[in-house]
Amino acid sequence: MTDFLIGLFLATLITALFTTRLYRLLFWYSINSLTLGLLALFIGSELDDAAMIVSGVITLIVKAVGIPFFLKRLSQRFRLVRQIPPNIKIQYAIMLVPAILVFTFYLAEPISHMVEGNANYVAISISSLFLALLLMMEHSNIAPKIVGFLAMENALFLLGTTATEGMPMLVELGIFFDLLMAIVVVNLLLRHEEVRA
Amino acid sequence: MMLSILLLPALVMFGVSFIHTPNARKVLPVTSFAILIPIVELFRLAKPYRLWGDYLVADDLDTYILLISSIVGIGVTLALLTLDKHVEVTETAYRRFYRFFALFWIGLIFSILANHMGIYWIGLEMATLSTVYMIKTNHTPAAHKEAWNYMIVGAIAISLVLFGIILIYASAKPVLGEDAMLFDALLGRAKDIPSPFLFEMGFAIATVGMFVKMGFFPMNLWIAHIERASFYPVAALFSGILESAVMVGFFRFSQIAEVVNRSHLFGFIFIYALLTIFIVAFLIYRAKDFMRLFSLSGIEHMALIALFWVSGGTFAALLHFGAHAFLKPALFLSTGVLESQGRYHIAGALRGYKGKGGAIFGFLVSLFLLAIISLPPSPMFFSELYGFGAMIDMAKQSHNLLAMIGAMLLLLILLSVIFYRFVAIYQSMKYEGETIEKKVHSSELFALVIFAVALLALITPPSMAFLRSVA
Repeated sequence: MTDFLIGLFLATLITALFTTRLYRLLFWYSINSLTLGLLALFIGSELDDAAMIVSGVITLIVKAVGIPFFLKRLSQRFRLVRQIPPNIKIQYAIMLVPAILVFTFYLAEPISHMVEGNANYVAISISSLFLALLLMMEHSNIAPKIVGFLAMENALFLLGTTATEGMPMLVELGIFFDLLMAIVVVNLLLRHEEVRA
Repeated sequence: MMLSILLLPALVMFGVSFIHTPNARKVLPVTSFAILIPIVELFRLAKPYRLWGDYLVADDLDTYILLISSIVGIGVTLALLTLDKHVEVTETAYRRFYRFFALFWIGLIFSILANHMGIYWIGLEMATLSTVYMIKTNHTPAAHKEAWNYMIVGAIAISLVLFGIILIYASAKPVLGEDAMLFDALLGRAKDIPSPFLFEMGFAIATVGMFVKMGFFPMNLWIAHIERASFYPVAALFSGILESAVMVGFFRFSQIAEVVNRSHLFGFIFIYALLTIFIVAFLIYRAKDFMRLFSLSGIEHMALIALFWVSGGTFAALLHFGAHAFLKPALFLSTGVLESQGRYHIAGALRGYKGKGGAIFGFLVSLFLLAIISLPPSPMFFSELYGFGAMIDMAKQSHNLLAMIGAMLLLLILLSVIFYRFVAIYQSMKYEGETIEKKVHSSELFALVIFAVALLALITPPSMAFLRSVA
């Protein structure tokens, strides 16, 4: 089940890379967060780790539902462009994605004997980080860049959940707090556009 | 209790930012002075002093950095009183600036005192996000663009730091459990880390994140653009407090990395810092305005501090660190005065100041400008002497003596380029251009005097002895 959810996490991120519509991108981000939340719930219940279950529930509420909903409302309020064609052509992106995956698996190879769990999880987390960075780079619009930043947070969470079997609760709550503050700042930054328009 | 008193000035500032009276901000410099009381008390207490369990622990290193950052905070609150005399700023933007400055300050107090990698990161992220809005309080398209830029690049940098922290945590969790998040526990058991490769990968990623945040290679110009586009107190806060907090993280991570593998650490930082200084020296040579000039010079000094620290010259690194943290905000605040009403000319910038205040201002700015390029008796002169001494000691012990001496010679040539450029700029400020009458306000002057006194205090024998004891 863990493997399936991690695969789904990666698949949703890759799909998000090829999306050309903003709402579709938010949808894929939401699904990406949903798999992350479920993963935390699943691993948490397996390890009997209450802290991880709590952070899984918060992920589901905040990231899978709250943030996409809020971003959609912001995009409607500030009339953001909904067509977001990527700057990197699809045919090149299709080549880039497997190249990133191969590179990260190569990078994580030496640690396969050192990590207690599955070393592939570390490789997938690092490749998710690179894919999120690619998402930020391939768009010139602001909204996909924000989604790319949020996807990067998801990649960090994936690493925290799988490679370390859960970060301390204090850290996870702090990250959620910072994430909410980031959304407030994004709101304030977008408001400026409205004032100028 | 101690923590609440430390946070009090920032909390008062946050509260005052909601009051709609322009006079309210006059109380802030007075309140900000109050932070010195708990810090002086912290110096007297036995170390390590636990402020909040194992999470926030004050030792000599972070108390010193906290003191420096607080003096910068006091100077900036003083200079903020007359921000509207130099640049156009609405009352609402002013209040928002204070609100986010308060959040920034709280975040950095947590970061500096953190003994826990997670809390260190949370404080740094809070400071990053609040800076975004401080940049945007300048209502220009350039500032707006740079605020977005900072949001994105800053977020990437800080995410890399967290990624590194998670990998470090993963590498040490098998031996330390959840305590693998604590800097002191990690340092104590660094030799037992079962997967040093994982640790080093985490350290490298976290270090790249921290270095990107400070404008190291390959992101040399982004911070200069941001400081140019925002109000000048933002640049002062960046160089005096934010970079200090990032550096304290680097100090702590590298202490652990040194135990894990000293030669890897040294090689990585040496090449990275040299590459950064190489590029920055030529960028400084081409800089056309004060903000970019000082901002790039800040990157150069941060690279030197990192280099001295990993070379074993911890005393030199800390002295350089303190001198930089006082000099750079002082120069940025002076820039606000020198460039008031949008005049960016370097030629004749030091002329036209009337009266006693004007003379003191001219003297102080000359002093800061010459001190930043390490003219004796600047603290930077001593720190560079000791720093290069430490590097030579390191070279003698290594197997690559000639390569290291060659690299040090290159470093000296690059520093000479910077020295030459600063002297040329100073002469242009003093002897060229036309004289236009300009004004300097007493609160700004007071802030500069505080920085000058702090610099002098840094080279007194007791503070030198204290820095040696920290090292």
